Amino acid sequence: MSGSLLLQSVILGVLLGGLYALLAAGLTLYFGIMRVVMIAHSAFLILAAYLAWWFNRETGLDPMLSLVVTVPVFFLAGFLMQRLLVSRLKPLTLTMMSVLLTFAIALIIEGALGFIFTGTQRRIQLPYAGDSLNVFGAQVPVVKLVAFVLAAFALLSLYLLLKYTRFGRALRATIQHPEAARLVGIDTDRTAGYGFGLGLATAAIGGTALSLDATIYPSLHWHWIGPLMAIIVVGGLGSIPGAAIAAMLLGISQSLLQLPLGATWAQTVFYVALFATLMFRPQGFFGGRLAQRF
Amino acid sequence: MASESKYLLELNDIEAGYGRAALVLRGLTVQVPPATVVCLVGPNGAGKSTVLKVASGMLAPRSGSIVVDGVDVTGTNSQHMLKHGLAHVLQGHSVFREMTVAENVLLGAFTIKDQKAIDERVAFVQNLFPIVGERWKQLAGLLSGGQQKQVEFARSLMVSPKVVLLDEPSMGLDPKTTAKVFEQVARMRDAGTAVLLVEQNARRALETADIGCVLDLGRVHISGPAPELLADPALGDLYLGGRPADSAHVGGSTAEPATKGR
Ligand SMILES: Nc1ncnc2c1ncn2[C@@H]1O[C@H](COP(=O)(O)OP(=O)(O)O)[C@@H](O)[C@H]1O
Ligand SMILES: [Mg+2]
Repeated sequence: MSGSLLLQSVILGVLLGGLYALLAAGLTLYFGIMRVVMIAHSAFLILAAYLAWWFNRETGLDPMLSLVVTVPVFFLAGFLMQRLLVSRLKPLTLTMMSVLLTFAIALIIEGALGFIFTGTQRRIQLPYAGDSLNVFGAQVPVVKLVAFVLAAFALLSLYLLLKYTRFGRALRATIQHPEAARLVGIDTDRTAGYGFGLGLATAAIGGTALSLDATIYPSLHWHWIGPLMAIIVVGGLGSIPGAAIAAMLLGISQSLLQLPLGATWAQTVFYVALFATLMFRPQGFFGGRLAQRF
Repeated sequence: MASESKYLLELNDIEAGYGRAALVLRGLTVQVPPATVVCLVGPNGAGKSTVLKVASGMLAPRSGSIVVDGVDVTGTNSQHMLKHGLAHVLQGHSVFREMTVAENVLLGAFTIKDQKAIDERVAFVQNLFPIVGERWKQLAGLLSGGQQKQVEFARSLMVSPKVVLLDEPSMGLDPKTTAKVFEQVARMRDAGTAVLLVEQNARRALETADIGCVLDLGRVHISGPAPELLADPALGDLYLGGRPADSAHVGGSTAEPATKGR
């Protein structure tokens, strides 16, 4: 195997890892906020990809412009979903029931996409679709680079928002100790709702990034939810930095394993990592003290 | 009317409980005068935490009233209770573990907009609890139990509360740290805050408190000046775990917890 092929795999792995990192961050955020397992996260991802594709087909403009609409709409949808559905679940069985609830939402989205856009595979034709950069002999497609930059920018914004804003402090306090948060005057219900909104906003950005370079169809989300769930468990449930690190490592591993194993078998790296985590370190590898055991 | 009241906090004839289970509090009345530590003692499960949850609005009482500095605040939820001057330090550890001490303390001022007032208050709590200033940039979850308690005290004092509710601040601490924490409770009072303290560690708490109340079967059974309760032999046997042989030790750190055998 040549050196440039290896380099190319690593670069592609990093680019893919960036998208995984953004999506896993959203997924682990819901879990951190209220122990919700959000199966519908990847369905919203595909929904956003469809909206980007549809926007591009109808207007001919760059699909990334659709973010102006999808990000606020998804944020609102996440807020309403938390306030009207998830917060009504009984606390005692919330995690389990959230799987059922969000599974149903995923099915509804998948069904609606099939109904409106049919099951036909769709793909955006971008003017720069065929361009690639030559990095020390490795060919790096420009679309993948653009998608990565979009995802990385969103992840960085999420990090800065959580770390340095008043809302971010309120959300972290709500995650770490809801009762104490309420006692310092934080409206934890509304904060949790906004947290869900943020999670869905990341799905909107991720979906748009995905649409640049993927063939999409309504049931594609099943393909994504497994790896994303594995990533957040490996990273330590509830930990965003943990999810980002695990996403990068697994993205690169997957990309490297594609060389000897092919695409289908390379995917199993997520499940191998998941089983290893559950067996040896159920609290995850990168989550720190806060991470939950599954 | 507001400033006429003799008490900063009054819980009047409170009945409260959880869900459909039997009532935990059955006609409880407690009053906290200014610049005073009132200590409510009682065995595990007596309803001590429940009293504080009712006072801070975490649990709505079935009946009775809550009056803060002459203002009836019954029915206010915990998020808004701060505005009326009540701060609640929960039982066990309640720092935000993955945040720095600075972030924890500043979150105590979440509802305050005036940056100058916040800065002054930070200086005040750092002076009152030196450890808070020393560990300012460290993650709160990495501090020892006693240090975390002081961070929680500092956080609760950021809003300049009239009354602080302390739920078993000595829980899980060794005797030396316990002494230190009670010393801080006395300093909070001397700095002008009234304190309603609940404790299972009754003898040690009554040594710090000005007024003691014994909680039994959901109401205040006996109350009076703390030194008198400590000296009462009948009470010592019943509620404080052993005879008050050590009452000469007031203010010092009792190395051993009181045991029954003496
Ligand atoms: N969240 C709750 N739900 C139901 N019952 C509770 C709850 N919290 C406390 N209790 C019950 O109320 C009673 C008093 O509890 P608590 O106020 O915590 O006692 P203490 O603080 O004196 O140990 C106990 O019987 C306890 O089982
Ligand atoms: Mg208690």
